[in-house]
Amino acid sequence: MSAIQTQPAILAEEPPVSLWRDAWYRLKRNRLAIFGLLIVALLAFTALFGPYLTPYDFLSQDLAARNQAPSLAHLFGTDDLGRDVFSRVVYGTRTAFLVAVVVTTIALVIGTALGAIAGFFGNPFDRVIMWLTDVTMSVPNLLLVVVINASLKTPIAQWMEARYLATLNPFYRETVWIDFLLVFGSMALISWPPYARLVRAQVLSIRSRPYITAAQALGLSNRIILMRYVVPNALGPLIVAVSAGLGTAMVLESAFSFLGVGVNPPTPSWGNMISDGLRVWQHYPHLLAAPAAVLGLASVAFSFLGDGLNDALNPRGSK
Amino acid sequence: MTKTGNRLLDVKGLTIEIETRNGSAVVVDGIDLHVDKGETLGVVGESGCGKSLTMLSLMRLLPNKIRVAKGEAHFDGRDLQRMSNRELRKVRGGDIGFVFQDPMTSLNPVMRIGDQLAEPLIYHRGMGRQEARKRAVELLRLVGIPGPEERIQAYPHELSGGMRQRVMIAIGLACEPKLLIADEPTTALDVTIQAQIVDLVKDLREKLGMSVVWITHDLALIAGLVDRVVVLYAGTVVEDAPVDALYANPRHPYTRGLLASIPKLSDQPTSRLNSIGGTPPEPGRRPQGCPFAPRCPLAMDICRTHVPKLEPVAAAGHHRAACFAVEKAQEAA
Repeated sequence: MSAIQTQPAILAEEPPVSLWRDAWYRLKRNRLAIFGLLIVALLAFTALFGPYLTPYDFLSQDLAARNQAPSLAHLFGTDDLGRDVFSRVVYGTRTAFLVAVVVTTIALVIGTALGAIAGFFGNPFDRVIMWLTDVTMSVPNLLLVVVINASLKTPIAQWMEARYLATLNPFYRETVWIDFLLVFGSMALISWPPYARLVRAQVLSIRSRPYITAAQALGLSNRIILMRYVVPNALGPLIVAVSAGLGTAMVLESAFSFLGVGVNPPTPSWGNMISDGLRVWQHYPHLLAAPAAVLGLASVAFSFLGDGLNDALNPRGSK
Repeated sequence: MTKTGNRLLDVKGLTIEIETRNGSAVVVDGIDLHVDKGETLGVVGESGCGKSLTMLSLMRLLPNKIRVAKGEAHFDGRDLQRMSNRELRKVRGGDIGFVFQDPMTSLNPVMRIGDQLAEPLIYHRGMGRQEARKRAVELLRLVGIPGPEERIQAYPHELSGGMRQRVMIAIGLACEPKLLIADEPTTALDVTIQAQIVDLVKDLREKLGMSVVWITHDLALIAGLVDRVVVLYAGTVVEDAPVDALYANPRHPYTRGLLASIPKLSDQPTSRLNSIGGTPPEPGRRPQGCPFAPRCPLAMDICRTHVPKLEPVAAAGHHRAACFAVEKAQEAA
């Protein structure tokens, strides 16, 4: 008895090591992950505060100083309308983050809910939800987004215009939001299936663990078991997926903007800046290089962070 | 059947089947057992004899493809098998506490043990977070965990196996259930800790006045703990006797075999350990007669064709055994 009572007393002097603290400890030792984390933090800061700190407005044109090469006055040079490319890239970071965060959040909520229901309650939910997931995944992403944009954009714009004429409420004049709404909606629509599959697989494996039976033996309701026993245990891989998903969403947004079905000018997006730069890259390579480099950096940073989290949250994978 | 008013748990003709590719196979075959109020029952048998399934089936917690085919289980006068899910959830954790075999995997790894203890209190007793937390500290103290105020902040992986099993017991006892079912609670622990857990449950049983069902394959472990022992073999009750009578005078050849398998200190260090030859029948391939007949040293012709009923052994009160050779076994002993 005494052996048992003294042992925990020794342990108790150390601060309790939670799973998360443990994971943070492992993450800190991973240089690439920390590099990714720093870049992501910098980008997040830029997205939040950058537009207030830039020397120029992202829209203000200086036709006397068009297509200038990078200089101290214009770090990334100016574009064909004399706008400061640095300020536009900074504002583009906000666009990229906004789209990435909103889209990933919507996709995550839909995916987690559907995946958890499919995994926990089994058939017939499982069959229907997995069928829906497969169907969604089988539709080519770009095609779906183009179709949504082509078919919905004009009717919504017309409806907004009609509302404005009827009410004279300036809210309906703000057409920028249509872009965002369509981008959010269509990207979330194609992004949730991987989360649903991941969560379902997690839940299937967790559902058969003894502590779930133990929770059932305590008489806890399915809702509590799902929310407090199943989902938290599935969180590790989900965090990794979200980190990677944020990067993917940024690249996807740029791809859509590049093709002209994403965020429309004049709102700066890395994608439409790359698209504009591509036309003149032989003469003004900085117009292509600046947004492309930032996009590449963001993508790499998120994937390093994701890999690092994967190792940190999976104690079996690392020593 | 005289003390029916005193019955807490009464299981009759419980039959459990498992679905296989070749149809369903019987794993538990018409078990009768009962637990009186304040009584401690030991359920003994080797692996796969249906001990755990029987107890899980009471709480309707059987895994997929395994189901109760027949039988009823009355708890406090109500049939657990016919109860609505809502009523059943109140019984689970509220009236019947469950302690599982493996404390390493039976606690939620991402939840502090204080929260896990508080969960049933909030759910069954309608306590607030603060109140439940206080009670959690008391419970940890009750099961002998030192420094409970700090320990409620700990995660399961920060505790040793013995400590975790104490936490499991504390969770099982949280709502002061009328019955505590302990499913091989010491199998995953080393011998000294096993003795501590047995002592703990013995102590708590007296403090709280509850009934206990202790499932084990270790006859020696529970000798000082239980009032009565039910011996299971291949999904049937083969012997049911007060603990002293069972050890002093086991009637069923299987029980004798089990008792003979316990190594004694007086044995020669070099002598072979006793064992019962052969293996239990697989589900779905049960022999026609007594399931133990193929391994039984006393098997007669009738044993291979007829299944013996669980009947009181002559002149021995509550001692019952299911064996045609009871008298012969008596002579052999």
